[in-house]
Amino acid sequence: MKGRNFLLFFYLPFLGILIIFFVLSSLNRAYIKNKTENLVKEQLQAAAEILKINISHFLRENYSVAEIFDSYSGKENIYYIALLDEDKNVLGWSSRFEGYLPLSLHTVEGEGSWIIDSPAGKIFNFFSPFSPDEGKKCYLYIGYSLENLQEMIAYSRRNFFLIFGLIFVIGVILFLGFYQLQRSYLGKKEEAEVEKAEKERYREISAFTSGVGHEIKNPLNSLSLLFELLHNKVPEELQDDVALGKEEIHKISRIIDQFSTSLKPIKLNKERCSLAEMVSNVKESLSREYDISEVEIRYSESSSVYLEADKGLMSQAFLNLLRNSLDASERGLISIHAQQKKKAVQVRIEDSGRGIPEEDQERIFEPFFSTKKKGMGVGLYLTKKIIEAHEGKIEVRSQKGQGTVFVIHIPGG
Amino acid sequence: MRKSRYVILLLSLVILQAAVLGQETDHYYNVDTEKKVRGTIQMIVMEPRYKDSSPFLIVILEERKTKEMFNVEISPVRFFSQDFHKGEELEVVGSIYSLDGQKNIIARQIRYRGEIFMLRDKHGFPAWRGGEMTQKKKRKGKRF
Repeated sequence: MKGRNFLLFFYLPFLGILIIFFVLSSLNRAYIKNKTENLVKEQLQAAAEILKINISHFLRENYSVAEIFDSYSGKENIYYIALLDEDKNVLGWSSRFEGYLPLSLHTVEGEGSWIIDSPAGKIFNFFSPFSPDEGKKCYLYIGYSLENLQEMIAYSRRNFFLIFGLIFVIGVILFLGFYQLQRSYLGKKEEAEVEKAEKERYREISAFTSGVGHEIKNPLNSLSLLFELLHNKVPEELQDDVALGKEEIHKISRIIDQFSTSLKPIKLNKERCSLAEMVSNVKESLSREYDISEVEIRYSESSSVYLEADKGLMSQAFLNLLRNSLDASERGLISIHAQQKKKAVQVRIEDSGRGIPEEDQERIFEPFFSTKKKGMGVGLYLTKKIIEAHEGKIEVRSQKGQGTVFVIHIPGG
Repeated sequence: MRKSRYVILLLSLVILQAAVLGQETDHYYNVDTEKKVRGTIQMIVMEPRYKDSSPFLIVILEERKTKEMFNVEISPVRFFSQDFHKGEELEVVGSIYSLDGQKNIIARQIRYRGEIFMLRDKHGFPAWRGGEMTQKKKRKGKRF
């Protein structure tokens, strides 16, 4: 699934659920609010009925309206209260706010309840007739504060938005996390697929090249034998030419051998081996190959270093690296220093030769890349392959004219 | 100027005190009796108007056309920061009631020196009990 599709696949249902949650929760809150308001309304109406009975009682006891309302003035929830006669003239009133009695007789008929907004919050208004005495009709007008109800509604709204926001943020973070994971997984999968295809291609090329090499080497061997025979039978003046031809055939054979070796998959045959001993053997073999009278190859180690490695292949790797250093240094010192670093062995091979130009440093481990006249560009490629087969890595640091340092890290030791 | 104003205030207080002490029956903001009155300021007094409330600023206003006198109840003295001056014009929108033959107005909105001051909301809720007084800016060409 592509990144964008994945995002949509997760985000759309999440947003859908969030919207459903929002709508259902809003409907639910509206329903509860409506029910609560109705309940409060009923309760306040019931309270007003009790109030009417009390007022009727006080009036029959000949208390003045002012005295009656004084007894209610301390009640926190009653903002204002008024008593009106049959003709709706105000007989008496009391209000918590100076002169505030929002009663319009143009809009109120015989009885009713309504809610008004005020800077002090919503106020439930109740206007209702009652008879304190037989044959006498009065009206009670009362305004109750709905502050507590409003606080409750505001609290509920605040909590709702808090929970909604939290779910939204957590969801977004969670799915972004999933998205990143999926992207990373897809990236790695793609890399693995490319690598697999590359390996497959490499295996096919290897098999093909090995087959071609094998097919070429058979007639070459015959040719070599033929030149050997010819060498003894041709006149003396042609013997040098035949020898040259024979040498060229050997050269072709060596090239094919190198090709075959470089293309073969590496199979390790690990054993415990001393690095000092390995380097010593390599030095000996190089002394037969190179004139190293003016070059000093010095090996040092912080403590005795032993490797769990394929001795033959690892020797081949060091041989290739030292050949590279010798090719670059006509004289001077080539130092090899080994040390145990935590759970790995680090080997530094440092020469004071020509160095490698910066633009070539990235390419020196590529197969068949060489800056030398005689080289085929297989040595360093093979070295890298051998080191990597041992789960190690190799780095190069070099400056033109100031020598080169190869650093090898091999796990274990 | 300020001194003479306070002398007038003191005298007025003594004269009018008896008439307005306590919470009178009709002395509430009756939205049904709302009216607009324009006139000239004659006197400024401070009086207690409501039970357990601080003294109110009262402007004695002479109606422009009928020359009738109105006691205009503005707000608690501490709330209204503008200075009224005798002879200046004032337009009042408020609830009218009569007490002992004297006409009174509980002001909801006043226009003074071209500025409009909202003292109560449309139901008569006092601005000094619910936030700051609304003061509208001058309107061009609407001075009176």
